[in-house]
Amino acid sequence: MSPQPQRARGATAPGPGVGQVVERFELEKAWLVDPVSGREGPGEIVVTDGVLESVVWLEGDEAKGVSADGVVVTPGFLDLHAHFREPGFEDAETMASGTAAAAHGGYTTVAVMPSTSPALDEPGVLERIRAAARAGGSPVEVLAYGAVSADRAGEQLSAMGELADAGVIGYSDDGLPVRAPKLMRSALLYAGMLGLPIVEHAEDLELTAGAEANEGYVASILGLAGWPTAAEVNAVARDLAVFADALHDEPRARLHLTHLSTAASLDLVRRANAAGLPVTCDVTPHHLAFTDEWIAGARRWSWEALGADGTSRDPWADAALTAWPYNTSLRVNPPLRTPADAAACLAALLDGTASAVVTDHAPHTAVDKEVEFGQAVNGISGIETALGVLLALVDAGKLPLARAIAVLTTGPAAIAAGWPAVAATAAARQRGLTEGAPADLVVFDRADTWTVTAGSLLSKGKNSPLIGRELSGRVLLTIAAGRLAYEDPAAGDE
Amino acid sequence: MSVETAATGATPARRMAPAAPTSWRHRHLIDVDVVTWPEIELIMRTTDEMKGVLARPIRKVPALNGRRVTTLFYEASTRTRVSFETAARNLSADVVSIATATSSVTKGESLVDTIRTLEALGAEILVMRHSVSGAPYLAAEVFGGHVLNGGDGWHAHPTQALLDLYTMRQHLPDGDLRGRKVAIVGDILHSRVARSNVWSLTAAGADLWLCGPATLLRGMDRWATAWSGGTIPGHGRFNVTSDVRAALRDADVVMALRIQRERMQGGLLPSLREYAARFGLNAERVSLARPEAIVMHPGPMNEGVEIAPDVANSGRAVITEQVANGVAVRMALLYLLAGAHEAARGHEAPRTSEAAGTSEAAR
Repeated sequence: MSPQPQRARGATAPGPGVGQVVERFELEKAWLVDPVSGREGPGEIVVTDGVLESVVWLEGDEAKGVSADGVVVTPGFLDLHAHFREPGFEDAETMASGTAAAAHGGYTTVAVMPSTSPALDEPGVLERIRAAARAGGSPVEVLAYGAVSADRAGEQLSAMGELADAGVIGYSDDGLPVRAPKLMRSALLYAGMLGLPIVEHAEDLELTAGAEANEGYVASILGLAGWPTAAEVNAVARDLAVFADALHDEPRARLHLTHLSTAASLDLVRRANAAGLPVTCDVTPHHLAFTDEWIAGARRWSWEALGADGTSRDPWADAALTAWPYNTSLRVNPPLRTPADAAACLAALLDGTASAVVTDHAPHTAVDKEVEFGQAVNGISGIETALGVLLALVDAGKLPLARAIAVLTTGPAAIAAGWPAVAATAAARQRGLTEGAPADLVVFDRADTWTVTAGSLLSKGKNSPLIGRELSGRVLLTIAAGRLAYEDPAAGDE
Repeated sequence: MSVETAATGATPARRMAPAAPTSWRHRHLIDVDVVTWPEIELIMRTTDEMKGVLARPIRKVPALNGRRVTTLFYEASTRTRVSFETAARNLSADVVSIATATSSVTKGESLVDTIRTLEALGAEILVMRHSVSGAPYLAAEVFGGHVLNGGDGWHAHPTQALLDLYTMRQHLPDGDLRGRKVAIVGDILHSRVARSNVWSLTAAGADLWLCGPATLLRGMDRWATAWSGGTIPGHGRFNVTSDVRAALRDADVVMALRIQRERMQGGLLPSLREYAARFGLNAERVSLARPEAIVMHPGPMNEGVEIAPDVANSGRAVITEQVANGVAVRMALLYLLAGAHEAARGHEAPRTSEAAGTSEAAR
């Protein structure tokens, strides 16, 4: 990146505290990215009383010295997949810590998964989640999915209609697939009738019983039980077949496949789209940037581990093993795959097969992670590092900045807009820099870095493989619905 | 097959470094992967000295007098635990022996807490056996002393691989494995012995063949393929096959691995009878190997399954020698680890700040 040391700050500091309406915030000479209009370039913004009062695009002499390598302003991010653990696992995350972490990551809207205890399979649990989110005081909007099956047990349908009335934006048994194809068919039809999607964690549990790491070279050397790509491909193929069938009976049925991780499963989605099936999918930052070799102790990005011929470079031959092996923060479902799979995730983002990046933010306690690799729970705490990981792709020239922002904003919103009952809600809101609308934006500095540490993460989940690593794109300010969601502690010091 | 050529040294799989004097620099021994060839030679030479001790009327030296060795076994094992404890006592170490059935592990204590407790109780060298791959790395992250891996999951069993190597060298001219064909037949997929032997035998320049039913080789071909270009410095290529005759033909060393009954329940094998019929080391198959070939087994044996009784008890079998050499190799490793300089830095993957509660100094 070209040096641009200016750390532009608001001429006046934003409101005094999180949750307060931002009375006045001006930012001069920043790089604006508006994924709705598709425009990016030098500009200035003014927020008054929580409203984005003006957006000015600079040209000519005024634009001099402003580049995409410095302070950037974009609409607030939308995460279609996170776990905030409340109720039931408040030692791992709460609504308060989860929304604080989200705002630190630039997110202003987050859809949480129903894998709580009790599971979000009836409206009472949703009320608890909403009450906890309100009590947390963050302006970050929390949306929720209901469970597909009662208690996520995969046997009978949850209270789908009541959940729809209460305002869930879809259904998922995430953490688990919808096990029986017959239940999947019923769920797609019933949810479709309600105008809501099934958000599927595609995994063939028979093929992954006891599995620890992506089946292949690295797992073979480390003696870890192989997690075959076939387990995901098989599940996606099943889901696509059942979905195509269900659509005949219920045209409003919708299927969204979350956290796809293999080249082959993404290719199935690509072909289904080409055949006209309205299936959508997303990928995660960790499947884009990390690979199975990290479990052996490598820490290079996925694109640095890709050989010229598209195969994996050998971390042993390259002497790339720099960290202690079997780090349990790398144990995740689906598992970290090969560099070629990570490249396929990126290709899917670039060609639109996957139009969203979701964090699958999965915070866990040290008790559940400071154990043997094979006994550790799955999950990566990732909502605060998603932007930094995507910017690493941008810095490497693999992903245009505008596309990186789109897959965090308009991409996921467009997916939600395809869900009939969600189309008019916050999830599907246009995410642009629109004058006169409540300010919903994030300001970050690509010329400034931050180090991921247990202390710098606001999430209670410190289970990040990036601990100790420097990321670019320090978030300076997040405003959600006109209110202050996050402000860098150093802001205004200068 | 090019055994004739290879045995004459015309196509050495790797150029062996001269056995330059070297000192031990590893704080822990968790796998053979981080041990260089000169370091393996140091282990072999030290084992020679320990064999000398074992040949004396009184098999005891004061080398580790007052040092505290703790064996922590999370998995049932008699021979390995007794071998380590015998080795430690031969060096005059104080030995504390913990088997999981009698420890607080059965009360649900975590491995990390157990390790910290053992350290507080004075453990200096921790010999550990665990059913989960990688568990000794977790132990080494929190333990202030030395971790010596006694076998973890499917991952590694370095002392077994080193005693295997020592035993092979005893039976080969000049102790040289370059170009010598070694066939390991059995449940490769679940075998930590096979994995550690890949590192040590490819470092020794052997022509290594791993053989078993396709269901018990899954994934290993990717390892062999990746190494087919000889890409890892100091390590040669190896072969993976389900053709037991090809694996055994003209072999200098034949090793059988134990087949466990659970493999049938897992749907990986039709029956032990079928395994014995197709892959068991019987006299007819072993006759494919070179006339002077030795037969090995890490034990415990299922005679009649992976190895026929007449083969296990034949003059070619060196299985009891392996057991005896195991004590000497373990003495050597305990001795080297105990003598590792405090400031020594292993070239094991460096500890990073992401390891909770650890410091740079603990490496």
